[in-house]
Amino acid sequence: MAHIECSGIVKSYGAHPVIDGLNLMIPDHEFVVFLGPSGCGKSTMLRMIAGLEEVTAGRISIGGADVTNRHPGQRGVAMVFQSYALYPHMTVADNITFGLRRAGVPGPEIDRRLGEVARMLGLEPMLNRKPKAMSGGQQQRVAMARAMIKTPKVFLFDEPLSNLDAKLREKLRTEIRKMHNSLKTTTIFVTHDQLEAMTIADRIVLMRAGAIEQQGTPDEIFDRPATRFVADFIGSPSMNFRLGRIERGAAVAGSVRIPLPPGRFAVAEGQEVELGLRPTRMERVSPGAEGAITGRVSLIENMGAEGQIIAEVDGADMSFVTRDFRGLSIGDPVSFALSPDHLHIFDRATGRSCLA
Amino acid sequence: MTRQRFILLTLAPALTVLGLLAAVSTAGAVWFSLMNRVLGSPDYEFVGLYNYLRLLRDKRFFNALEISLIWELITVAGTLVVAVLLAVLVHETVKRALWRNLICFAFLAPVLLPRVAAAFIWRFLYSPSLGLLNWIVGEAGLGPVEFLANPSLALVSVAVVDIWQWGLFFTVILVKLLETMPRDPIEAAMLDNARTWQIHAYVTLPMLKGPLISLALVKAVESLRSFDLIFVMTGGGPGTATETLDLYAYQSGINLGGRVSYASAMSILLLIVTTVAFTLIWRASRKWSR
Repeated sequence: MAHIECSGIVKSYGAHPVIDGLNLMIPDHEFVVFLGPSGCGKSTMLRMIAGLEEVTAGRISIGGADVTNRHPGQRGVAMVFQSYALYPHMTVADNITFGLRRAGVPGPEIDRRLGEVARMLGLEPMLNRKPKAMSGGQQQRVAMARAMIKTPKVFLFDEPLSNLDAKLREKLRTEIRKMHNSLKTTTIFVTHDQLEAMTIADRIVLMRAGAIEQQGTPDEIFDRPATRFVADFIGSPSMNFRLGRIERGAAVAGSVRIPLPPGRFAVAEGQEVELGLRPTRMERVSPGAEGAITGRVSLIENMGAEGQIIAEVDGADMSFVTRDFRGLSIGDPVSFALSPDHLHIFDRATGRSCLA
Repeated sequence: MTRQRFILLTLAPALTVLGLLAAVSTAGAVWFSLMNRVLGSPDYEFVGLYNYLRLLRDKRFFNALEISLIWELITVAGTLVVAVLLAVLVHETVKRALWRNLICFAFLAPVLLPRVAAAFIWRFLYSPSLGLLNWIVGEAGLGPVEFLANPSLALVSVAVVDIWQWGLFFTVILVKLLETMPRDPIEAAMLDNARTWQIHAYVTLPMLKGPLISLALVKAVESLRSFDLIFVMTGGGPGTATETLDLYAYQSGINLGGRVSYASAMSILLLIVTTVAFTLIWRASRKWSR
């Protein structure tokens, strides 16, 4: 087990740097998720830590040892790929034990460890099967067993659940998290799915265009997004944004007027800002209540326990989520309000949060 | 029904040509093999299976059978070994696309040469007095080597030419196959601490088992048709050291006594042996490649 330290990481293809001077510290035992839109450099970062991609400049150390120029097999890392990357001509047992056999681990020891991981992942009945005779979920379990059996210092997951259907994804996500809770191995998990990141991570590293946009616990990222980009990327349904300005202690955007809790925001009177309102932090209120936003229902999405209402406010859509949606129909007037502690204000020019 | 008719219609031209060319000549050969015709005389009579029975007592025939078998083994195995080793070497050492393409182009050149041209080039290279190879061997102090006149070297020396042509060609095919392989299992093997040669021995080449078996079969069929190469380089000699079945059939049917019936019997036997052998190999290979 080990902490990971990346300092001044640069990766360029030709003259064009995709990652430019990235610094990151991952403490021992932590489950970190690299999250971001495709092309943000999260997979490249992971592959550089694995040693599958060369680092143009900078240093990577695992457990205090500089591994920047070490062969992938010598870094003490194990990786699970999106495509599973199983050896198609080998049986499940051979797939799992390939690494141990390369490392010269004695036969009885290999058998013991194989039995252990196979039991843990429920692979015992299929040890003699070939990968192509198995479902995607089973194949990904084999890939996880292949990583676990090596008892690595670090687990790396490169979008391991993206090729699975929604139900299976949820199940394996839980299994991966449980596995981490019992093994406590430092883990980096790459995904573009913000919900997956929120549910599984100790800490999220949100990346954008080769740089870290924000890092923090899922709660910090969700409730205190540092930039408009983070606020927009995290949360489903996604945040409503309105251009507005600060007027007499309130944030005003058209007919929307939300009083500012004193001391919460570092804003000046008359400042041009962008308001962010999370649909899940809004609720229906009686018309005329403090901070009420009034609009006309243009669409109702039934999500079972809750409904997402899309209302037309000042000629643009604004959505919010409520349990109390069944009485509404399209065209009805509706009033709703944001719970006052959950307003987000971003500087219009820089996109940075104005939280004090 | 329309699909079946479509299949029949599209197959018909090829089958007609094959029927005219192959069936007629094969039937002719069977017919000839039952007579005692010779080129020198118009007289002949029906002799039944006499020619076949005589073949079974012909030591030179069994020698030719043995040479054919050795020729098949050396050329097929040699081609594949050379192709695999060279392809892995190129794949691992030449990373720039431009150099790779140039190398592939150069490797394609030998197989584009007509067999006879290749044979003459190598006969010259092998020449004891004028050849480049003997000059090199001479500089190394090993004296002139009779590559084509030494009975124990001749067959291998000719096989080298065949492997030079086909091994390099198959190298190009394998380089391209290695390029199109999925990267992930290779990267997984790197993380499993496999060395480069282990990655190829345990991961990439087993993944290419199907194509490798197909290449081996193609080469095996191709090796049966090496008459022109051997004929130009050694003519089957020295003695009968490089005389394969097709060479012996030619020698006895056209060149020497002109015993066309005897040669026809030999060809028919060769046809039967190869058909049976390839059917068995084909069946087995389908099982292996699974």
